[in-house]
Amino acid sequence: MAAAVTSAAPALPSLHSSSCSLPPLTHRSLSFVAFTSPTITKLSSHRSSRHFSSGPSTSVLSIRAAAAAADKKRVLVINTNSGGHAVIGFYFAQQLLGSGHEVTVLTVGDESSDKMKKPPFTRFSELVSAGGKTVWGNPSQVGDIVGTAKFDVVLDNNGKDLDTVKPVADWAKSAGVEQFLYISSAGIYKPFDEIPHVEGDLVKDDASHVLVEKYMAGLSFSSWAVFRPQYMIGSGNNKDCEEWFFDRIVRDRPVPIPGSGMQLTNISHVRDLSSMLSLAVENSKAANGKIFNCVSDRAVTFDGLAKLCAQAAGRELKIIHYEPKAVGIDAKKAFPFRNMHFYAEPRAAKEIMGWSSTTNLPEDMKERFDEYVKIGRDKKPMQFDIDDKILESLKIAVTV
Amino acid sequence: MARLVAMQPRQASPWASSSSPLLPSSLSEFSGAALSISLQKRRRTWQPKGALQVNASSSKKILIMGGTRFIGVFLSRLLVKEGHQVTLFTRGKAPITQQLPGESDQDYEGFKSKILHLKGDRKDFEFVKTSLAAEGFDVIYDINGREAVEVEPILDALPKLEQFIYCSSAGVYLKSDLLPHFEIDAVDPKSRHKGKLETESLLDSRGVNWTSIRPVYIYGPLNYNPVEEWFFHRLKAGRPIPIPNSGVQITQLGHVKDLARAFATVLCNSKAIKQVYNISGSKYVTFDGLARACAKAAGFPEPEIVHYNPKEFDFGKKKAFPFRDQHFFASIEKAQRELGWAPEFGLVEGLADSYNLDFGRGTFRKPADFTTDDMILGKSLVLQS
Repeated sequence: MAAAVTSAAPALPSLHSSSCSLPPLTHRSLSFVAFTSPTITKLSSHRSSRHFSSGPSTSVLSIRAAAAAADKKRVLVINTNSGGHAVIGFYFAQQLLGSGHEVTVLTVGDESSDKMKKPPFTRFSELVSAGGKTVWGNPSQVGDIVGTAKFDVVLDNNGKDLDTVKPVADWAKSAGVEQFLYISSAGIYKPFDEIPHVEGDLVKDDASHVLVEKYMAGLSFSSWAVFRPQYMIGSGNNKDCEEWFFDRIVRDRPVPIPGSGMQLTNISHVRDLSSMLSLAVENSKAANGKIFNCVSDRAVTFDGLAKLCAQAAGRELKIIHYEPKAVGIDAKKAFPFRNMHFYAEPRAAKEIMGWSSTTNLPEDMKERFDEYVKIGRDKKPMQFDIDDKILESLKIAVTV
Repeated sequence: MARLVAMQPRQASPWASSSSPLLPSSLSEFSGAALSISLQKRRRTWQPKGALQVNASSSKKILIMGGTRFIGVFLSRLLVKEGHQVTLFTRGKAPITQQLPGESDQDYEGFKSKILHLKGDRKDFEFVKTSLAAEGFDVIYDINGREAVEVEPILDALPKLEQFIYCSSAGVYLKSDLLPHFEIDAVDPKSRHKGKLETESLLDSRGVNWTSIRPVYIYGPLNYNPVEEWFFHRLKAGRPIPIPNSGVQITQLGHVKDLARAFATVLCNSKAIKQVYNISGSKYVTFDGLARACAKAAGFPEPEIVHYNPKEFDFGKKKAFPFRDQHFFASIEKAQRELGWAPEFGLVEGLADSYNLDFGRGTFRKPADFTTDDMILGKSLVLQS
């Protein structure tokens, strides 16, 4: 609730004199249009602009010209055809195209499949308009699919296990690809009492992504890097995130949150992930051999996230806490995030590549809500069977 | 320095299995010598605004407001070892110096022979002004200041002051659902620590070369705030640990020795002028996790934790739990990036250091008081029966 409270309480003047004299950066939400522009914005400031601070924000943008011909990369993105990670490849491709690189996106499956009727695939024409190539097929046959085309960089944003990624990695190695990047998952970190998950922390022994990470490390690419994301918001997302909250808030339904609601998680705008990936492409030496938590640099509580969604929607919020076991429901089906602290910090990206986060949840949620309404989802008839079961067990009546 | 292996064993390979055993080993002692050498290397040539150009590696005449209880005890040793002339301003209620557990006689005598004392009450503003003006200090470390009005006579007394280094608090940050706190975040002018905020504002408005350090919860040997001590009392007594609400609230502890090093690092550091730094441990921890960490550090079995709803009790003036009942943690990346400082103690190691040099030797500041525990446990027993 930082944004709301800041405006209500008069804050003391900022004490932080900046070493630079640039005026405060007004935070524009970076829509798709910005990504197809020909300039790259390299966010190199250590003091990124945040709307919920009291003093003048300071931000230094060093604007780089579009990639010089010598820096131009030929990038292949192997993209999953569904799930929370699908949108990553789309933003990454857009950002690369905007910077003047060549991009081919190989999406799993068939162009004609029903899965392609969901975002971000419904917007793939934007990639084509920007000069990118979109193809479909089975990643295990990537060599046949791309034929003689040469690539400098491959991003596997698809496989969760070695069976799926090995053929791609092997092909990339044999085809002389210089840089191999892999979207893993922050879900592989072992949970401990100490937080956050930091690169280098122990991972689960049986996590399939771990075997992939190890395998690609052993292939001697000129540069390889692993990215471990969490949850994302952003236009073109294939999987519900904030929508789950909006669905309930706009229908004046209570929002059932498991446990105390104090659980911390990391909700990043997908542009943060894309900017981190792009930075790794442009700084392949620095990024070589590194693991990056691919997340924004703030955690939010479940309750806090609900509040931000309600603020964005300009509606009342009623949170109901419950114990999933006591109610007899599977928390995984009832709530979009894992029911525990799940928080990684992007320390490696900041330290090694000078990356900075631009996720600004209070502002980003407003943009998300605008789109939610624009596509008419607020009017869509919906069932809330699991919610009803929770409320019933807590003897709470829903007056709609 | 041998250390206890941290709760999360860090291995060379990022994918090491978790089957390695954690063995307690002999514990670190606070060694000022090695630290002072590394600090000197990091000194930059520093030109204070409008003042004489000063050779940054020269010895400074330093006054510490306080310095005999906790942070200052460690900081003063670092500064003396670096070759500065250090005076402690205290009322003299506590001994000016005390030999630290683990400190050699030689080191202690060396420190004791060099440290100076200015006896006085900092609330006697006239005395502060005249005595400081008479002495003329280069640098002030204000470790125990709470209100802006206490700082005014110091600034009045020392127009040529090169640097004012202030111990503020992360408690000034406005409570937020978005964490961690960064130095640029909103502060709360109504917080319990508003005196600290007002002091920071005063320093800024007076055009002084100031540096403000915002610690979170400080722990370590000689802690007079019963942070780790609170857990140790219960663990030693074999009592359950009562933790309010869910126990998943996240807090952050910073070792006093790491904090002292941060304070020493900002001395004559041009980058630190008019800057605020969060200083604490590298990772955060849940309340439940902290109870377990204390047990692990002190060699006690995993404790029984009892959660309770504080609203169901009237504890009167007694504090039932040493931490604020909310998430509270701050990012230290600014200090790491700009000062080249990093905490050396992990949580379990740091708690072990505290235990082995203090509580584990039979010393503590506040005797055990289980009144509120018994109220909580009594009620939960009733509910169970």
